[in-house]
Amino acid sequence: MKFNKPIKVAISVLILIVLLLMPKWGSDRFINIFILIFLYMSMGQMWNLLAGYAGLVSLGQQMFIGIGGYTVAVVCQSYNLPLWVGLIVAPFVCTLCALIISLPIFKMSGDFFTIGSWIVAEAMLLFFTNWSFVKYGFGFTISAGRVLTLTHRYIMALILGIGSVLVVYIALRTKFGLGIMAMRDNEGVSKVRGVKIYRTKLNCFLISAFITGLAGGAMHLFDGYIQPYAAFSIDWTVTMVFMVIIGGIGTIEGPILGAFIYVFLRQYLLNFPGVSMLIFGAIALIIILLAPKGIVGLLQDRTGFELFSVRRSIKAPKLPDKPESASQNT
Amino acid sequence: MYIIIQSVITGILLGGLYAVIGVGMSLVFGIMRLTNIAHGDLMILASYFTMLFAMEIVGNVFLALLITIVLMLILSFLIQTFLVNRVIDKGPEPSLLVMFGVSIIIRNALILIFGANNRTIPNPLSTTNILNSPNISISGGYLVNFIVGVAVVLVLMFIIQKTYFGMSIRATASNRMGAELLGVNTKRIFAYTLCLAVATASIAGLLIGQTFVFYPSTGPQYLITAFGVVVIGGMGSLGGTLVGGILLGLVQLLSAHFFGTGWQTIAGYVFMLVILTIRPQGIFAKARR
Amino acid sequence: MSDTGSILKIDNLNVHYGDFQALYDVSMEIKKGRVTSIIGSNGSGKTTLLNTVMGINKPTSGSITLNDKDISGMRTSKIVADGVTMSPEGSSIFEDMTIKENLLMGAYLPHARKRKTELVEKAFSLFPDLREKSGQLASLLSGGQRQMLSIAKAIVTDPQVIICDEISLGLAPVIIKDIYKKIKEINAAGMTVLLVEQEVKRSLKHSDYSYIMVKGRVVMEGVSGELPEEEVSSAYFGINKYA
Repeated sequence: MKFNKPIKVAISVLILIVLLLMPKWGSDRFINIFILIFLYMSMGQMWNLLAGYAGLVSLGQQMFIGIGGYTVAVVCQSYNLPLWVGLIVAPFVCTLCALIISLPIFKMSGDFFTIGSWIVAEAMLLFFTNWSFVKYGFGFTISAGRVLTLTHRYIMALILGIGSVLVVYIALRTKFGLGIMAMRDNEGVSKVRGVKIYRTKLNCFLISAFITGLAGGAMHLFDGYIQPYAAFSIDWTVTMVFMVIIGGIGTIEGPILGAFIYVFLRQYLLNFPGVSMLIFGAIALIIILLAPKGIVGLLQDRTGFELFSVRRSIKAPKLPDKPESASQNT
Repeated sequence: MYIIIQSVITGILLGGLYAVIGVGMSLVFGIMRLTNIAHGDLMILASYFTMLFAMEIVGNVFLALLITIVLMLILSFLIQTFLVNRVIDKGPEPSLLVMFGVSIIIRNALILIFGANNRTIPNPLSTTNILNSPNISISGGYLVNFIVGVAVVLVLMFIIQKTYFGMSIRATASNRMGAELLGVNTKRIFAYTLCLAVATASIAGLLIGQTFVFYPSTGPQYLITAFGVVVIGGMGSLGGTLVGGILLGLVQLLSAHFFGTGWQTIAGYVFMLVILTIRPQGIFAKARR
Repeated sequence: MSDTGSILKIDNLNVHYGDFQALYDVSMEIKKGRVTSIIGSNGSGKTTLLNTVMGINKPTSGSITLNDKDISGMRTSKIVADGVTMSPEGSSIFEDMTIKENLLMGAYLPHARKRKTELVEKAFSLFPDLREKSGQLASLLSGGQRQMLSIAKAIVTDPQVIICDEISLGLAPVIIKDIYKKIKEINAAGMTVLLVEQEVKRSLKHSDYSYIMVKGRVVMEGVSGELPEEEVSSAYFGINKYA
C-alpha cells in the first residue's frame, strides 16, 4: 500500500478532523479512553525518541513524570497560581532538571546510562519522600484541575499526543533529525561527518524531558492527586517500554499503535486486578524475543519482503554474471 | 566520637552484606558483558522462597536456603537458555530489555502471590549483640552477614580462579570464539555463569530477608545497591565487590550519622553517581583478573 | 593419494551473506593423514569456507561430512567434539590466562579431559618455547608464540583434523619456517592437517594436495608436487585465465 503525498495529507487531515470533533459525538467513556491514549502516546514517543533513535535506553523517564506532576502541584496548590501557569512551568522545570542530570549521566554509555538514569530517578523518589516542602511521602491534592471539563482535558491530551508525534517527525525530517539517524546507524561514521553527537543526544534528552514532564503534569492535574511512590514509579517507564516495544522501536507509528494497544488492554485487564503489569511484562518479553521490531516492524518486513523479492527477481539473473564470465574466459 | 566509631563498624559489617548482593552482578557483567537488570528481583524472589520454606514447609533456615538455591538454579538456567541466549548475540540492548521483562514479571508475580506487605525472615541473631559495651555494640546478625559475605566472595573467587570449571568460564569471557573452537558450548557456560550468580543472589536474599523488611518492589533498590557495589569496586572484579560493598556501607552509615537516617540511601546513590561520573571503571580498576 | 580414505568431505557448498554469494559449489575431499592446502587471496572465500566447516557460518546448500557424518550447520562446539578444530586467523588465545591454562582449556572435551596431563605434555614437547613460559600470561607473548600457542591449544583437543588458517600471517620468515616444521611433526604423528594460505610456493611445498580458490570457487586442484607453480600463481593472481 503506497499512497502519494496528497492522499496521505488528505487522510491525515481527515483523521485530525475526526479526532477534533470527537467531543461532539463520542461517549464520555470513549473520550476518557482517548485522553489516556494521547497522554501515553506522548510518553511513548519520547521514550522511543531516546531509545529508538538516540540510542539512549533510559529507565529513568518516570522522574520527569514525577517532577512535572509535582511542579504542577506546587505551583497550583502551594502557590495558588492558575493551572496554566503550572502547565507552562512544569516542562521547563523538567528540562532544567534534565540538563543538570545530563552532566553526570551523559558521561556513562550503554548499560551504564540505563542504570544511571534509573538510579537518578530512584534518588529523586527518595529525595521527594524526605522533603518536607512537598509533604514527604503523603502527597498532595491538586484541586486546580477540577475546573476542567472533559472536552478541555481531551483537547489538552490531543494537543500533547499529536504534538509529540509532530516533534519526533520534525526532529527526524530536519537537519537535526538526520543527525539522529546517522548517529543511531553508525556512531563512528557520523562522528567523522561532524555531527555533534553529544549535542544531538542531549537535545533528544531535553525534548523528552520537556514533553514527558508536560504529560506527567497533565496526568496528575487530571487525577487531582500526587504521591511520590506512584509519581516516580518505574511502572511509568515500564509502560513506555511496553508501548514502544510492542508497537515497534525506532518507528514513529510504533508508539502510536503501542498506546492504543496499551490503553485498551489495560481497560480490559482492569477486570483482573494485579495481573496487568505481569501480562504487560510477559507480552513485551515475547515481542522482544519473537518480533524485536514490534508490530510495525513486522508489517514493514512484510511489505519490505515483497520489495525485497522484487529486487531479487531483477537481480537474480545478474548474480552469477561475473563468475560465469570468468569461467567463459577459460 | 563513639557514635562515629559505631557507624564505621556497622558500615563495614553492612559492606559484607552489600558484597554478596553485588558479587553475582559483577560476575555476570565480567563474563557476559550483560548488566543483569533482574538481579535485585531475583534476590527478592529468593527471599520469598526462603521465607516460605523456612516458615511454612521445612522449618529450618539452612534447609530452606538449600531448596531455594536449587529452585533458583533451575530458574536461572531456564532464563538464560530460553530467553537471554536467544538475543545475546544481537548486542546489549535486547538482553537488557529481556532481563527488564523478567524483572517486571518476577516483581508482579510476587505482588500477586504474596501481596505487597512487608515481610521478614525471623533471625534469632538479629536481636543478639555479640559485643555490648555501653558505647559500642555489634549486632550478631550484621556480623554473620559480614562473615557470610566475605566467605561467599572468597568461595566464588576460588571457583573462578582455581577450578577447571572456573577456567572455562574465564576462557569464554576472554575469547568466546576461541573457547568455542575448543569444544566449549559458550552459551551453556553463560547459563552456568548466571546460575552461579543467582546462587550468590539466593544467599543474599536470605541475608536481606533476615536483616531488613522486604516486599516485592524492593528488588530495584537492591539492584541499585548491587550496581553501586560493582561500579565502586570495578566492573567484573570479584574481589573489588568486597571493597565496593564496604565503601558503600561506610558512605551510607556516615551520612546517616551526619545528615539523618532519611538520607542514608540517597547518599549512597549520590556516591554511586559521582563514581560513575568521574571514574566509570571503578575506583580500584586495574587490568582485569 | 588413493590409498587412504577421505575424512572430511565438502560437497557442492554454497554460502550467502544476505544477497552476496561468497561460495559457489565448492567441493573438496580431505584425505586422512595428509596435509591438504587451500590457496587463495583475500576475498577468495577461503575463510568463509573454513567458518562454514566450523559451523560459524551456515551454508545455503551443500553438505560437509566428517567420517560420513553430516556436520553442516551444527554448532561449533559440537563440530569440535566430533573431531575437527581450527586455529583461526588472528588470535584465538585467552589473553588474560596463563600459557598453561590456555593449553589446559584445550582439554575441555570429556575424551581429552581424562588425558589432559598427557596431552598438554605432548603440546609442550612440540613447542618447548611455550613450556619455558608456561606460567606467564598469554598477552605477553610475541606474535610467533601466539600462533604457536593457538596451534598447540588446538592440538590438545586431540582432533582428527586440524585446520590452520593463515598461520604465517605477519610473521618473520624464520618463525614461519619453524611453524611449518611443527606442522610437519603434527602430521607425522597421524593428524590430518588442512592448511590455508595466501603464499603459493610455501603451500605447495608443505602440502600433499592443494586446492586453489578464486572468488568463491575452486578453480584448480591437484597433487601439490605435480601442480605447476606458475599456473597456480597465474590462477591465484587472476592473470588472464580466471579473472
